[in-house]
This record gives sequence, C-alpha cells and structure tokens, in this order.
Amino acid sequence: MKSEELSQIKRMLQEQGYIDDGAIAMSLFLAMKLEKPLLVEGPAGVGKTEIAKVMAKAMKTELIRLQCYEGLDSTHALYEWNYQHQLLYLKMQERKEPDIKALEETIFSDKFLLKRPVLNAITHAEKVVLLIDEIDRADEEFESFLLEVLSDWQVTIPEIGTIKATNKPQIILTGNRTRELSEALRRRCLYLWIDYPTFEKELAIVKSKVPEIDQKLGVQICSFMKELREMKLEKTPGISETIDWARALASMHLKHLDKQIVEDTLGVILKDWQDMRHTQDSLSELLERTGVTSRIG
Amino acid sequence: MTSTATYQTEISANVVLLCRFLRKKSFNITVSEEADALKAIGFLPIHSEGYFREALKSVLTKSQLQQTKFDAYYHEFKEQLKKATDSKVKELPENKEKPEKKTKEARFEALKDWLNLNPSEEEKEVSSFSDMEVLTKKNFLDLSEDEMRLMMRVLQKMARKLAHQKSRLRKRSKLHQHLDLKQTIRSNMRKGGDIQQLVFSQKKDKKLKLVLLCDVSRSMELYSRFFIHLIYAFQNAYDKIETLVFSTALHKVSEILDNNEFDKAFETISERVPHWSGGTTIGSCLQDFTENYGHGMLDKKTIVLILSDGWDTGEPEVMKEAMKTIYKKSKKVIWLNPLAGSPDFSPEVIGMKTALPYIDVLASAHNLESLKQVLQQIHKKRNLLNRHVF
Repeated sequence: MKSEELSQIKRMLQEQGYIDDGAIAMSLFLAMKLEKPLLVEGPAGVGKTEIAKVMAKAMKTELIRLQCYEGLDSTHALYEWNYQHQLLYLKMQERKEPDIKALEETIFSDKFLLKRPVLNAITHAEKVVLLIDEIDRADEEFESFLLEVLSDWQVTIPEIGTIKATNKPQIILTGNRTRELSEALRRRCLYLWIDYPTFEKELAIVKSKVPEIDQKLGVQICSFMKELREMKLEKTPGISETIDWARALASMHLKHLDKQIVEDTLGVILKDWQDMRHTQDSLSELLERTGVTSRIG
Repeated sequence: MTSTATYQTEISANVVLLCRFLRKKSFNITVSEEADALKAIGFLPIHSEGYFREALKSVLTKSQLQQTKFDAYYHEFKEQLKKATDSKVKELPENKEKPEKKTKEARFEALKDWLNLNPSEEEKEVSSFSDMEVLTKKNFLDLSEDEMRLMMRVLQKMARKLAHQKSRLRKRSKLHQHLDLKQTIRSNMRKGGDIQQLVFSQKKDKKLKLVLLCDVSRSMELYSRFFIHLIYAFQNAYDKIETLVFSTALHKVSEILDNNEFDKAFETISERVPHWSGGTTIGSCLQDFTENYGHGMLDKKTIVLILSDGWDTGEPEVMKEAMKTIYKKSKKVIWLNPLAGSPDFSPEVIGMKTALPYIDVLASAHNLESLKQVLQQIHKKRNLLNRHVF
C-alpha cells in the first residue's frame, strides 16, 4: 500500500511530463504525508512553479496562485472587506428601523468579505494546491504574517474570529534566493533545492516535452546548454529556455545544430544583450566543445 | 510482527542519532524536525537505502547549503556507525537501514567519537564563508578579476539601494496601507459628504541628483579604471546622474556610459578623452565645469562627487574659486582620494589644501568598507561643524 503511494506520485509526475530525479518525488510525497508546506528554491527557470502546476493536475484539483511582489499585504493575500458594498447596504437599511447589532453582524459577514488567495485556499470545499510564488520578493512582514497559515492552517480576521481550514491545502512556496528567508518560515516547511539539471535529466526533459525532436539535435542542444551555463552570464538560461529552443528548432525540422542556426536563434535562450554579445564572440569555441563540427559553405 | 516492531525502533534510534550527529555539524534540528523525520520514515514504502536517505534529506535540511552537504554527512555518519558496531560487536557488517541488535556500548562509543570531532573542519567552513569580509578590507588595487566582478555586484546593489530612498513627502498609492484622510475627504465631497472612496498614500521616492567628476590623469591611472567601474554601477541605478572626466580638459561622458556595456564604454572614453592618463589641471577643469555645466547640473538637490588625488599643476586661486562655486550651489561635495587610504597621508598637496575648506566629506575609498561609509553619507544633510574624513 505504502509503496504504491510513492510510486503513484512518480507516475503522476511522469504522466504530466515532469522528469524527476527522486528527490522531487520524495519531497512531494513527504509534504503530502506530513501535511507540511514545501519550500522550493533554485535558480530561475528550473521548473519550480511547474511543480505546483503538475501537482494540481495530478491531484485533479484547483491551483490557487499567489504571486508575491514588493509591498504585497494582507488585503491582497488574505481578505478585504468590500467597503463600497457595505456602505451601500447601510444606505439601503437607513429607511427601516435599524437594529444596530444585527446590522453589524450582517455587514461583517461572509457576504461582504472579499476572499483573496490564501483565505480562498483554506476555505475551499476540496483540497487545493496553493502556490505562493516568489515569496522572497514579498516583504519580511508578509513572511511573518504567513506563519499562522503555514503552521496552524488558520487565519484570524479581527471582526469575525479565527477561520480554520476546512481542507488543509497543499502549499508550495517558491523562491529565487533574492533575499534570505527567515528561519521561522524555513522551520515550518520541508525544503527542496532544485539546481540546473544534469545532462541526462535535461535530455529526458527535452524528449518528453518535445517528442518530435531528432535524437542527435536533442543531445546537441543539451550539451550546448550545459556549456553555456558554465559561462559567466548575467542571466543563465534555465530549463524553460532549453525547451523553448528545442521546440523552435524542432519546428524547423532541423537534424543538427550549426553555427548559423545557433546565431540566429540565440534570442530564444539568452535574454540579455550583453550575454548575447559574449556568447556570439565565443560561439565557435562553444560549439567545438559541444561537438558540433562547423561546416564551411 | 514483533520483529518488524524492533526493526522500527532500531531505525528510529539511528534516526535520532543522525539528528544529533547533524546538530554537531551545526544543522539546526529541533525536536519537531526529529519528530517529522521519524514520521517520514514510517511512511516509506520499502526500507531501501536511497529512499531512506532522500526522505531524511528532505525533512532535515532547511537550506541549499545543508542540502548539498547532507549526502557527505550521511555517508560519514554511516561509516562511523559501521566502525562502532564492527569494533564492539563481532558480527557481520550491517547496513544502516537494516540494523539489528546492537549493544548500547557500541552506540555510546560512536557518540563519543562524534563528540571528539576535529573542530578544524568547522573552522574551514567558516573561513570559506567569510570571503566577503576579506574583500571589504582589501585595497581595490589588489583585486583579482573574479573579486572585481563580485565587487561590482556589491557596488551595484549599494547604488540601487541608495537610488531608492524614501522621501517624507507622500503621493497617492494603490497599496491599501496608509489612509490619506485629507485626500479621502476631498475626493468624496462631490458625493454629498458620504465617504465612498478611500484614498491611500505612500512615501515618495527621494530624487537625488549626482554629478561625478573623475580625474583620469596619470597619477590616478591605477584607480581610474576602478572608479569608472563605480560610476558605471551608479549610472545604471540613478536616473539623474551626470559624469564628467578630466585631466587637462573636461569631457562629459554620461551618454557613453549610458548606452554601452562597460568594456566598450571604457574603450570609447579612453579614445575620446585625448589626455587620458596625462597631466592634471584640476583648477581650470573645475572652472570649466562651473562655467559651462554648472547652471544646468548644480542645484541644492545635487551631490557632487569628485574623484581625484589633488595633484594640481595649475593656479591654486582658480581652483579655489571653482570649488567655492560648486560648494555653494550643491547639496554636498564629496571628495574621494584613493591616496588618503595610506596611513601616512595628510592633505599636504597644494590642490588638496585649497579644496579642503569646500569639501563636506573627504574619504579614501580605497576599499569597500570606506566606500560604504561614504555612500551612507550621501543622504545625510550637510553638517557645517562636523566634516567627515574617512
């Protein structure tokens, strides 16, 4: 029974086209079993957000996403009173003989509560996946504010009281390490670090995402990316860039890389013009190391 | 049934031991993590080595550093456990995930082993993480290529931080954090006094203007490349920044720095400025600045940053007049003199002497630490009584 669950997760990941090296499936499995949030860190474009999407698909449930940004506060993440609505309601009630207590209860009820992602996730009728994306971009206050949700699965609204989760959502937090997250947050989560993939893993990913790709081209693309990541670039390309590139090249029905093609399509993988320049300068060398023989004429 | 139970307890005991072992390696494992680890192995399908390790790794590590080190530590732990059991109990060597009965002494020995761990390992760890600290005290001249790159990243961060200072003034905001009462009432007046719409405010960004005057004469040759680097970092972070370089004549280079990547910009500047690494006439150059650019560039919001060693071959009187004008018209004058970093420096040079009364901050800026101090000064008000010399 037990072994089925872990292998089930592995199978689910595979079905969704997510190639896993063991650590990811194990982390997901334990996060589900221990009912703990999962904190995923790693460089940009290695598929952190994708994990949550795949999870939601695999569990056949809804994905609620909270994109963090600087200045994000509880009114955007948790709840907000629908102020205009409340005001109009009071106006309408003015003509009648008002019962103050009942009125107060009404205007601070569910009806006037605007649910934002976090509250939405914990009051949802079924177990959902809550993705808190790029948590390191939010302010530290927001991080501390999340602690209540992460450890006790509850939210406190002063006017109503404490709302407990009907179904504990599967929370996945992602971060790019633009700043260090607090110890308190880390303690409440399981941790997973995803690095750039190994050559074999990347090849497997490319093959699963772009099945029509030529075998030789796939190998060349992946080894080129590997060499490229060795260079000191401003923005190192991630897996998503590899996939984009593979798709682009496959759609042109190419069988192998050559210098001209790489030069023309460099914009797919590099998103910084300085990187582009550096790469163009050392392209021949790079291709040689990749094992692409340059053809003359 | 009972055999599985003993199995479980043996494994649990080993997990607890592993936790202790990791704590010695400065992993911050609390009781709750330990409990999670024990729970986690309960969920595991087959007790295979790989799963066991992966699961513990997932539960017990809390950062990238820990995650990368875990495998090695796990291996070390296993080796020690094996050694302990081998020496004390005459049994076949056992695998960790299938431990059978072990005597208490064996485990005690193993524990003792860890307690006497050579501390040098941890020391080594610390030293590798304090690279940055060494860097802050290192003279810019001694930096290697890689250190330079790291330094640039630090500088860029600092510049960006400085560029985003908050002013006391407020403006309208979409963030619902600070209610602006005055504007709320004003905007709801036409609605008959009922407050329907709330207006929020946030702090305005402080706008700072920066003028950089960089000496590129021969006496500054060693430092000027670095300073142009510094300017480049600033230029990319600030909106309102003007850069001029001078040796015997003044040249405005803001556009070149704006539109090119560093190496190209540096090259172009060296080409355009004819007296690059030649002699200096600071006085006349500063005069040129006040006469030709002063009106447009200088005001009470502007900070003037001069990078020079003060070796002036011109008339001191000219320099004095120019410095006076700059001082009067600007928010602050900061003079960075890399020579001031050496212990036997005193502003004896005639150029430095004439300029001194019109400088708010004189600093060496020969290493990151002193540069940081200077940058902290940027947003402070001019203090007439207390001049800063770093």
